[in-house]
Amino acid sequence: MWHIAKRELYDNLNSLRFALTTVLLLALMLTNAVVHLHKHPKRIQKYRASVTKSLADLTVRTDSLYNIAQQGPGLLYKKPSPLRFCADGGEAFLSDVVGGAFLWSISGSSGRLKGFWRLDYPAATPNLINIRPDVTKVDWGFIIGYILSLIALLFTFDSISGEREHGTLRLMLANPIPRHTVLIGKFLGALISIIIPLSLAMLMNLLVISTSSDVHLGANAWGRLGIIFFIAILYLCLFLALGLLVSARVQRRAVSLVILLLAWVIFVVFMPSTLAAIVSGFSSPMSTDELWKRRGQLYEARWERYDTHLPKESEPAKRMQFEGEHVIQEAQEQERLSHEHLAQKTTQAQLARTITRISPVAIVQHLLESFAGTGFNRHLQFIENTQRYARQFREFVADTDRADPESLHFIGVREGMSQKPVSSDAVPKFEDTLSLSKDFNAAAVDLLLLTLFVVVLLSGAYLAFVRVEV
Amino acid sequence: MLKTLIRRELLDNLMTFRFAAAVFITLLLVVANTIVLLKDYEQRLTAYNTAVQESHEELRAEKTYSGYSGTLVVHRPPNPLSIFNLGLDKQVGNKIEVYHAFVPTIWDAEKHGADNPFLNLFTSIDIVLVFQGVLSLLALIFAYDALAGERERGTLRLVLTHPIQRGYILFAKYISAMLCLLVPLLISLLLSIILLTTSTTVALNTDDFLRIGGIVLTSLLYVSLFYLIGLCISALTRRTSTALMLCMFVWGVLVLVYPNLILTAVDIVPQPETQISVYHQIKQMWEKLDREKKQFIRNDAVLGPPSRGGEDMDAGFGLEGVEYTFWQGEDKPSILLYFHQTGLYAGKIKAESEPQVPHVQDYYGFYNRETINTVQRTWLVRKPALEAIYIQPANLGRMLLRFSPGGLYDAATEAWAGTGLEGTQDFFSTVQRYRRAVVDYFYDQKIFESRQWFAADKGTADWDTLPQFSFQRSDTGINAKRALPDMLLLLTMNVILFTVIMLIFIKSEV
Repeated sequence: MWHIAKRELYDNLNSLRFALTTVLLLALMLTNAVVHLHKHPKRIQKYRASVTKSLADLTVRTDSLYNIAQQGPGLLYKKPSPLRFCADGGEAFLSDVVGGAFLWSISGSSGRLKGFWRLDYPAATPNLINIRPDVTKVDWGFIIGYILSLIALLFTFDSISGEREHGTLRLMLANPIPRHTVLIGKFLGALISIIIPLSLAMLMNLLVISTSSDVHLGANAWGRLGIIFFIAILYLCLFLALGLLVSARVQRRAVSLVILLLAWVIFVVFMPSTLAAIVSGFSSPMSTDELWKRRGQLYEARWERYDTHLPKESEPAKRMQFEGEHVIQEAQEQERLSHEHLAQKTTQAQLARTITRISPVAIVQHLLESFAGTGFNRHLQFIENTQRYARQFREFVADTDRADPESLHFIGVREGMSQKPVSSDAVPKFEDTLSLSKDFNAAAVDLLLLTLFVVVLLSGAYLAFVRVEV
Repeated sequence: MLKTLIRRELLDNLMTFRFAAAVFITLLLVVANTIVLLKDYEQRLTAYNTAVQESHEELRAEKTYSGYSGTLVVHRPPNPLSIFNLGLDKQVGNKIEVYHAFVPTIWDAEKHGADNPFLNLFTSIDIVLVFQGVLSLLALIFAYDALAGERERGTLRLVLTHPIQRGYILFAKYISAMLCLLVPLLISLLLSIILLTTSTTVALNTDDFLRIGGIVLTSLLYVSLFYLIGLCISALTRRTSTALMLCMFVWGVLVLVYPNLILTAVDIVPQPETQISVYHQIKQMWEKLDREKKQFIRNDAVLGPPSRGGEDMDAGFGLEGVEYTFWQGEDKPSILLYFHQTGLYAGKIKAESEPQVPHVQDYYGFYNRETINTVQRTWLVRKPALEAIYIQPANLGRMLLRFSPGGLYDAATEAWAGTGLEGTQDFFSTVQRYRRAVVDYFYDQKIFESRQWFAADKGTADWDTLPQFSFQRSDTGINAKRALPDMLLLLTMNVILFTVIMLIFIKSEV
């Protein structure tokens, strides 16, 4: 078996396609590294500046608990992933900030009430001002998903049909080697001869990136890179198996290449977007206009309730309690609405993403995104983080208020809350974190699907080759 | 003789598996995508119609002229030809406010209709993209063995023993292969046009068919170019397997790698730093207007005294009957948009305030006139700055894309469909002209200094005589003019490649 693998390997190493593959992969990976080195420091800088500004704004508000609770902890920013060069994940289309709530100015009849801080999920619409031509970012996802799969097909389309055409297959099978050994030998030969330029290009890419002082890759990042490399190999196996399968079934290599290429074009290039477009047409989530309409309705209903139920001035405690509840409930209501709006949009996108899993390239891109800490799943994790933080923040406000014996404990009204200044260190800070175990959970289905595809195609190739007539 | 040759080649090509596969794949992809795109277009059209209707009603609900800010909104209709090349049609904003305090540009537009920003994560596919990917691949698959294969099989030697010029053989091969490639191209286009015409929402006129004709012509040039690239490789190589391998790599580089690589790389070209200084310049002009405005009020004998609100004139000049005052403005440094306007709304002005009204009218006449002048001045700096920040990098990317046939093809079809940058800019120039017309109408009718500007008691705003907005897509002639340079480039490449192949083939030894 190793003999055959070695023979294949030597065959491949001397071939034109090996040279072209190496050049292509090196060029792509080098561009990727240079662009990342150029852009990443800027992203980090922007993130740090925004976080600092957010914190500075918070410090201004620490003169009273009411100000903190009413205006909130400032904007919450998504931490840029150092592995964005692995998968861009369409980050430009995902908002990197949560919290900039539009506070419906509650001046109302009394003038003392102000809207309370609530989470709000602004949408990123970079394409409104972007008039550049559409582009797929050259990240590892592109290089692996599109280029590597094409290369894998080019390495295997003639491995069996070509030998049959040359007549060498008959010769080889005349030897006392089991057929599956021949197949595995060919598979390994092709695999290794692609892994060589691939790892070369990846190493060079990482070398360029890690030698720069601007980008710091920690142990965690290297672990993730290892997983990404493993995924790339698995994906490569899938297309090698597909190539072998078609190559074994088809008599002539030209026909085998035509079939493979057309399958590739359909599955890799068109299937994901077309299916996503079809599926996203099934549901129509709440539009932004509708969101604002419903916001207005909620707001008016709340105020109507306020005007009719407000206790008389002779009962100040009751009145204060009512007003506090009014403000807090208004914020909760609006937050629930924003959340519903977000959830509807997320569900639509999620469904489209699920369907695109028929295409292996979509699977591998989802996987790379998950492990690079970018893209859609990461965005959902970020939103979850902000929601957890919001709970923490509100608990902090309630606890601080409870700790003050002089407070009337009516959160929502200035006079009803603790009047003591708050130390800015005591306010919980938002830290956007990434957890590898969560990423694994998100990626598990994709990983299993990919493995399943590989196993099915490999056994298909085996069956096809065993039954092949020479 | 040529006829025999062509017939032979044609039969050779038509009977192959690749031809069947070519027809099948193109049809499948084009029809599937047409259905998706058509549905999307219909949705956008419905959204457009509702938005237009709503804006119309909202404007009619305004009682005073100054209330037109935010309610005089014009909408960009979706382009039916965006099914062929989506371009910027879906990407840039389609709803824009017409207001005298800023000049509307492509960057100030917003979006109407249901939109889920998350769906931007998925790339959208149009018919031109299908052709760009699939037809080029098919052209190469048809071409790779045209010469190398015959040489390998030895049939080339046989053919050349006949007294035919080598050029004829090449020509026959070219013609027959192009005829074969035309079949999937035309059938799939025909099917998609049938789908379009059966849909009740898409109304294509004669001009549109001419534009589609232009797209077909460009597609032909594009496919022919790829066939010639394949033929060139085939003429240069001895073995079909080498030719095939080279063809595939060339395809990968030209269609897949180069456009994305160059656009990713172009991102790191440093941006001009004009943005901040221009923004401050614009802001200063508005601050100057603010000072002039205050000066005007102070100099006014009736409005001036502090008892009436004085400098803090937002308070409504002490008019009795003012229902609310408003402050209207935008501050978006990234698109250099800065303006603010103040005003008031009076339902019924009480009799005791009546002597003040002419002064307030005077004030608004002055304020609006100066606002428009300020907008003119800011526009002089804003326009070139916007061009430097947004248009130039975009054009740089587009120019670099033209080094690949795919880029040329995309640019030319975008120009035909009118969904490119120029086609989209057409709409915004129309909006700018419309704003000018509205301002002129306000000047002519003396609306800026009228009582109806801020009060609704003695006659309300009459919106029916306001100039109507209408947008016509550019003439086919203009489309052709925009597409021509790219098409000529494609043609030149075709001719050059054909000559090169001819030279190689004539000199080559069999």
